[in-house]
Amino acid sequence: MTSAVDREPGAPSDVDLMLGIQSGDADALSQLYDRYSGIMKALILRIIHNETEADDLLQEVFMEIWNQAKNFSAEKGKALGWMVTLTRRRAIDALRKKQAYARAEERLQAEPERQPLAWVQNTTEKDIEAGDTRVLMAKVINSLPEAQQQVIELAFFQGMSQREIAFHTNIPLGTVKTRLELGLKKIYDGLKELRDEL
Amino acid sequence: MSFEEFQNCARLYVIGALEPEELQDFEAARKLYGSAAEDFINQCYGLHEAFALSLKPAKASNAIKDKLMSMVRERGQGQSGPRSA
Repeated sequence: MTSAVDREPGAPSDVDLMLGIQSGDADALSQLYDRYSGIMKALILRIIHNETEADDLLQEVFMEIWNQAKNFSAEKGKALGWMVTLTRRRAIDALRKKQAYARAEERLQAEPERQPLAWVQNTTEKDIEAGDTRVLMAKVINSLPEAQQQVIELAFFQGMSQREIAFHTNIPLGTVKTRLELGLKKIYDGLKELRDEL
Repeated sequence: MSFEEFQNCARLYVIGALEPEELQDFEAARKLYGSAAEDFINQCYGLHEAFALSLKPAKASNAIKDKLMSMVRERGQGQSGPRSA
């Protein structure tokens, strides 16, 4: 699997594009944007829930990809994984700043308690039939018990620590840890299986 | 820490969910298991990819792309590639 999304026959692989960016090829960045901006924006939106801020952050993230491309090494992992790690970190930073601001404004207490979102939104039967990587991954994640989805949602998309999750959900810390470990293992195994099949 | 326990910790580590007091044991086990530990941690970063791929892609703005490419090309005129961090 040289690219995590469908691409035209003959189109450069993700690694080719990253190498292009490393050598200063702006067209490589343009192609990478076309290939992954939708996924990156979905990830940002999932974390910060604001369209305008997501657009701004998306631009910053791709600028960072351009500036930090020299730190990417294909031997250490895949390009998408590297980009997602970077994007998530930036989005969680932005979320934390927003939350800090809200606390300063003493508005946090007035906010209704946020319930974790259903994991995969807008997944239709048609999507399921499409059988692409996204749908397969969504199926793996959706197959987790709700309690495991909840703690993983809070850890991955809200950047919460185990203690913060325990506090937020009133679940004992040990239970949070067990749920996280079990859920992540299932997703990891599902991902491994998917990679072996492709 | 057994390797299985290390694997559980590694999956928490890559998403930043390992508690500070668990980090010390984790780092000790990481050292103990050497390259097998590093390989496993690298594989765990694939979890990030899995989470992202489970989301339905959002519509990204063409205006953002135009602005981005304009900034990149503008910077590129003064240098041969991405700037150093």
